[in-house]
Amino acid sequence: MNPTLSELEAQASVERAAFGGDAHIVCDNLVRIYKTEGVEVVALQGLDLLIQRGELVAIVGASGSGKSTLLNVLSGLDVPTAGVAKVAGMDLLAMTAKDRLRYRREVVGFIWQQTARNLLPYLTARENVELPMKLAGKARRGRALELLDLLGVGHSAGHGPAELSGGEQQRVAIAVALANSPQLILADEPTGELDSETSAQVFDALRKANRELGVTVVIVTHDPLVSEQVDRTIGIRDGRTSSETLRREDAEGRVVAQEYAVLDRVGRLQLPRDFTNALEMERRVRLELESDHIGVWPAREEPSSEQ
Amino acid sequence: MRILPLARAHLGTMAVLAVLTLSACLLVAGLPRLVQGSFDAALRESLRGAGASQVDLTVRVATNSREDDLIERAQFDSRDAEYRALLPGPLRPLVVPAGASTGHASAKTYDTPVRGSGGMTFVNLAWLSDTDRRVRWIDGRAPGSPSTMAYEKATIPVFEVGIVDEARAKMGLRLGDVEIIGESHPAAVKIVGVFAATDPADRYWSHHGDVLHVTETQPPGKLDPERRTTALISDSGLAVLSGADRNLRYGWVLPVDPEGFTSLGTSEVATAITVFDRGVALRSASVLSQTWLETYLPELLTVFVAAMATARTVMFLVLGGLLMVALGVIVLAVHLLADRMDHPLALARARGGSLRQVAGAGTALVTLAVAPAALAGYALSFLVPGPVTWIVHAGPALVVVTAAGFAAARLALTHRAPLHERRDDVVSTRPSARRITLEVLVVVLALAGAYLLRSRGLTAQGAGDDPFLLFVPIALTVAAALITIRCYPYPLRLFVRLAARRRPAVPFLGLTRASRARSGSVLPVLILLPALGVSVFASVISGGIADTQRLASWQNAGAPIRLTSAVELPAEAVERVRRVPGVELVVPAQTAQVQLGYGGERADAIAVDLDGWRQVLAGAPISVPAMPDAPSGVTALVSPELRGRGTMDVGWLKRTKVTEGGVISSAPGFFSGKPFLVLPFEVNERPSVNALLIKGDADPAAVLKASGSPRATVATQAGELAAIEGGPLTTTVRNVLLITTIALAAYALVAVIVTLVIGAAERARALSFLRTLGLSDRQAQRLTVLEVLPMILITAVVGLALGLGLPAALGPSVDLSSYAGGVAVGDFDLDLVTPAFLAAGLAFAAVLGAYVHTAISRRRALGATLRVGELT
Repeated sequence: MNPTLSELEAQASVERAAFGGDAHIVCDNLVRIYKTEGVEVVALQGLDLLIQRGELVAIVGASGSGKSTLLNVLSGLDVPTAGVAKVAGMDLLAMTAKDRLRYRREVVGFIWQQTARNLLPYLTARENVELPMKLAGKARRGRALELLDLLGVGHSAGHGPAELSGGEQQRVAIAVALANSPQLILADEPTGELDSETSAQVFDALRKANRELGVTVVIVTHDPLVSEQVDRTIGIRDGRTSSETLRREDAEGRVVAQEYAVLDRVGRLQLPRDFTNALEMERRVRLELESDHIGVWPAREEPSSEQ
Repeated sequence: MRILPLARAHLGTMAVLAVLTLSACLLVAGLPRLVQGSFDAALRESLRGAGASQVDLTVRVATNSREDDLIERAQFDSRDAEYRALLPGPLRPLVVPAGASTGHASAKTYDTPVRGSGGMTFVNLAWLSDTDRRVRWIDGRAPGSPSTMAYEKATIPVFEVGIVDEARAKMGLRLGDVEIIGESHPAAVKIVGVFAATDPADRYWSHHGDVLHVTETQPPGKLDPERRTTALISDSGLAVLSGADRNLRYGWVLPVDPEGFTSLGTSEVATAITVFDRGVALRSASVLSQTWLETYLPELLTVFVAAMATARTVMFLVLGGLLMVALGVIVLAVHLLADRMDHPLALARARGGSLRQVAGAGTALVTLAVAPAALAGYALSFLVPGPVTWIVHAGPALVVVTAAGFAAARLALTHRAPLHERRDDVVSTRPSARRITLEVLVVVLALAGAYLLRSRGLTAQGAGDDPFLLFVPIALTVAAALITIRCYPYPLRLFVRLAARRRPAVPFLGLTRASRARSGSVLPVLILLPALGVSVFASVISGGIADTQRLASWQNAGAPIRLTSAVELPAEAVERVRRVPGVELVVPAQTAQVQLGYGGERADAIAVDLDGWRQVLAGAPISVPAMPDAPSGVTALVSPELRGRGTMDVGWLKRTKVTEGGVISSAPGFFSGKPFLVLPFEVNERPSVNALLIKGDADPAAVLKASGSPRATVATQAGELAAIEGGPLTTTVRNVLLITTIALAAYALVAVIVTLVIGAAERARALSFLRTLGLSDRQAQRLTVLEVLPMILITAVVGLALGLGLPAALGPSVDLSSYAGGVAVGDFDLDLVTPAFLAAGLAFAAVLGAYVHTAISRRRALGATLRVGELT
């Protein structure tokens, strides 16, 4: 039955739930193009991403896949070219400079890979933690020490970064990121320069922040130690989310990892390269709908029928 | 953000910035004071040398009726106070209080004939308010009260007067004589005393030369000269001295103190004098008496200002160049500091620092380094002698504002977006069409300006600075810098192509890096170019002045030693001089004023052996022409004024027919600028030698003694040179040019080093990368040098050309004659040695800097360097 005009009108006025609903981080068809004269680099090519509040998520991908660009966009340091990027309901594309500043002060905290880059060399650990609070104009006595204690580096509050080990530096950096009680922490390869034991300490610190403070944590990493311990690992390839790995504990307490391919809103699917290579799939494939799955076959040479 | 920890972390860079600021402020505030001080000293010297009657303000009143007569001293005093009250503000501090210096009042008659002298003898009467101070009575007594006597059936007043000693000798006046003066209203003068000046050399007497000396003039058609003297009367004589009877003028001298003048206040003083002149004229007591102001001060000031105008412009041009370069280097140092602060500020910005917080912290840090140093430099500049002009305050303020402003702008631009990663290294930005158009416009304007300046010259004669003259060199410098920046990669790319074909990798790599036009290379070019340009310009000008001073000294002396005598020098005296140790050659000469033709026309003449004179002048920058061979009779060289007369009849010791053999512009050491003749020494049958031109390094005093003539004087070229060089202006100008050149060279060096340091991290990374590919240390050094050298060499060459070309471009507009004893400094010999040394020194220092730089960076571990500022 055809709908009447009034029904159509009512249908149009009903707000449809936006993509992602009330997810903490929403990226919808996100595009970021770097333009320098004559050269155009498309770093993000329509990336979709949903992360719920309080999640601990790892993002993995080959170098150049757009992980760091995504993180820069989410941290408010970079502005995407097109698409939707929302964090805690704030639209990252439509923010004014003032909003952006407030966003960086109150909503987000981040940690870079280079331990030295996170901290000012001439300030002590405590002063480094106090810096973002002072910049935001709301210094709280004792908060810096609390945070440092929480992350297990309270003993080195009075030391300069040069006197700290790499792991300690990164944990101080996490404290710096947490200084203004953000809702979200972004970490760009926080364990990239550390040995496995120290990496574990740093990851523990991040997990502690996630569990005890309820902060959403997004970690870009190459480190399997990290990516294999989070609940969800998102793979990025060529500027798009390509796969997701979910880990659940089964009935016997074992962690079971299940890798999924990501199906976007218009039905596009990225097949893992290993799979396509193994079956020599190129240019086109044959699909067949079964009762509970879709089958993908290499295209057979059928010159007579095609022509 | 906390500033102090940041400051502690960048102490070294801040110290460099502070030292640069200190030196810049000291130079910028100190040198103008020095220059202005020397201008003032020169003005004062020229006023002191001008004579009190020219400099002082004299109010004159001509009286024609008895009502206007002033009959007692008190009336003069009250008038003096009245005129002083009329003085406009700017004149008040310059005028010395009543009774001091040359200030006085006078009443003087003029053209008062002695009856019976046939109009050939005049005895004027004068009353001077300060007679008792100025003269002493050497015979008789001071004049007393006037009396009366009967003369031609009438009673006439008898003035008791005192006459000057010279009048007694020259006019035959004697003590006790009574002379009748005046034709229509006769009066008698009785000579009761003879006086002499207590200090004849006092400037005061320039007001009353007629009182101290007898004036002799030769009236046309008479054999005897006309003689005038002025006799002094007493205070009580005033009562009977009336303007109704004779030509009477009252005068009030308001002495002006040359020490109170400043070269900046000249126009103000000139205006005030005009105002005073009007005010005085309006004070005329009645229609019969007339009041006016007599002074040559405005003319003197005008002449001075005209002489200074271009010289001043050149000085300020050089100082302006210095300021520009100093600012450039300071901006470069701020650039370095901003680069060093990049990480902490970027981190603060990313962690939630607002742009104001971040840029504010950086700017505060720069101000922290700059402001105290500027204050110190400003304070130190007060140790430099000289007046305080607005530049003294504005210069340091400008330095601080520029440094802080550049820091704020640069930091605001850099940290506008909080993202740390920038990919500006990937592609060199291509200049926009708008920018190219602007640059072409600047170049065209500069060239057009230079052309106009050359074709127009200076219009503002004596009207202060010519802004156009200031604008053109700056525009030319900017144009040259723009062309250099825009074009220097092109020839380099040619070399790159050549280098690419050859086997060694280092030249190729070095030149490739050098030819990449990066924004960082713009500032050093903008600093190095004017630095070198201005210092070469300064050295060319200062060389030009030195040469011209030497030339002027030879022009003034005419020989290494010149002896002139008022009386004839006998042959034995010449022989004695010849035997004085050190004397190599003595050329005798005769000088006199000779009669031309049979009329009253006279000219100076010198009879000398020109060949001998040429030998005396061997090696000097001047020479005299040879005497052309005469077809018959006597040939003479004539001054331009006497040119074209052909044959002249010259009356010297005897009458001689003289043929014009050529034109000579000056007889060095003797005549120039007025009619004169140069004759062969043999023109007189019996030579009457009164001048000797001496070659050699004999002691002038010994020469003078050997001549035995009591009225001989000796002038030496060395003495003349010392006199010219010793003038306050000349010394200062040369010092300022020297200081500027040294400062500019130092700044250029600092600019090169700071540039190297700014690019250090990037270069270290590139070198480390290349070293992992097998670059040796030695190759790394050569690479750095090759990278830096082309820019410095090209800038050095362009700067050298600019500095050498500026004097030519400004050409006739630059008149430095006031620094060179009056001789125009026009023909700038291109002395390439000093400028070339400057450029070569700069290039050498740069290369040295590059070597040192690589030597230091070599010590770093490869891994550490590669990770410095690594892009993620």
